[in-house]
Amino acid sequence: MEEKLIEFIKNEFLSDPGTEITAESKLISSGIVDSFSLFSLQAYIEREFGKKIPPPLITAESFDTVKQMIEIINRY
Amino acid sequence: MIVGIEFYTLLATGAVIYWLIPKQIIRNYFLSAASIAFISYFDKYSAIIAVILILYSYMFAVLIEKNKGKRIFHRLGITGLVILLVIFKYLGFLNEVLSSLDNFISSLPVFKIEFVLLPLGISYIIFKHISYLTDVYWGINNKGRFADFLLYSSLFTIYIAGPIERFSRFKIESGRENKFSGVFIEESFKRIVFGLFKKFVVADWLGFFIAPVWENPGNYPAGIKILALFGYSIQIYLDFSAYSDIAIGASRLYGFKIMENFDYPYLKSNIAQFWRSWHISLSDWIRDYLFFPLSPVFKNKTWQIFFVPLIAMGLCGLWHGPAMHFVYWGLCHGFAIFIYQVWVIIKRKNPALNQMSGTKWFNAAGTLFTFVYVSFCWIFFR
Repeated sequence: MEEKLIEFIKNEFLSDPGTEITAESKLISSGIVDSFSLFSLQAYIEREFGKKIPPPLITAESFDTVKQMIEIINRY
Repeated sequence: MIVGIEFYTLLATGAVIYWLIPKQIIRNYFLSAASIAFISYFDKYSAIIAVILILYSYMFAVLIEKNKGKRIFHRLGITGLVILLVIFKYLGFLNEVLSSLDNFISSLPVFKIEFVLLPLGISYIIFKHISYLTDVYWGINNKGRFADFLLYSSLFTIYIAGPIERFSRFKIESGRENKFSGVFIEESFKRIVFGLFKKFVVADWLGFFIAPVWENPGNYPAGIKILALFGYSIQIYLDFSAYSDIAIGASRLYGFKIMENFDYPYLKSNIAQFWRSWHISLSDWIRDYLFFPLSPVFKNKTWQIFFVPLIAMGLCGLWHGPAMHFVYWGLCHGFAIFIYQVWVIIKRKNPALNQMSGTKWFNAAGTLFTFVYVSFCWIFFR
């Protein structure tokens, strides 16, 4: 799950997919993932892992790192 | 209401009684009763509507939580709330729209809606209840205790001017056994005084100087009109944020920490950041309950990034008042969000552009441009 998410974020949101991203990298608060791009992340998670994450949980506080995303995906 | 003598009388006397009550749940009931009495003091009919809405939404939350047919109960509950909002706030507006259509299409039957009801704080309470029911449906929080929901819905400090607090946050505040502390008085006093200063000393003073230009723009040269436009931008920010300061400060006297609603929006370098800092409780609501649910409706990516912001921000404009000029203001922002999303896509495909957009100069130019654009949009709002 971690690898798939990192791969998607690199391809979808970074201008240089070679940029290093880890499970701990801050994505929303650092501006790497823009707030309007979060719909495509939500759609990807639903498509790939069959989990629809409620929008109020997709915030810079609770959905900022891949690690946090995995925690929430596992909870739903 | 939030700057009237009745508000501060209740705030002070209510706080004394509130802190004399030993148990938090009884305090919550007391404060709810005082809040409903406060609404009733200004308009009995609004208080009755508020109580009906509270019972209605809590009943639907119970039904949603029972799990059998939760989807249907959620849809029913939300539909009812939206219909009530339309009836109370937008019937007159719909009448106007239909009448204007009637001028063009004479064969249409003439619709006449003679009564327009506008209960106090109706937009806030209905938006709060839509988020509440949806969060229960999504499993973000349970229905909670009735005492907490009652207070969440009626608390007079945030009833008229927001912020549109979420139940998931509020129930933590109202659910714990708060102990009185002098810090509450200190923080509350400072924040209220700050809000009143912003409102009555700075915003109203600024308004006094720019109002003549807005009333008779033809009498003034272009330079003065531009200054009046920027002046209005500052005035409306100070005005709105002052109300939030007072609401947050007043709530603090009862030990509650209400969410912040403004975060220096005019210092942000693009429209997306602006909307994450302006009326945050409303923009978060729009994002969670309009932007996200609307996005999958448009399968085509281009249509999605064009129509979703326009629809969501158009409705955001309409939320501010039942008039077309608010819709135009919302569409103005929706269009800016569309352009911003296109810019983000272009930037992603162009590393050099992406690097340039991270420089200080670029951000400074972005801040200036965003401020000018947002100021221009206020023309429709006023």
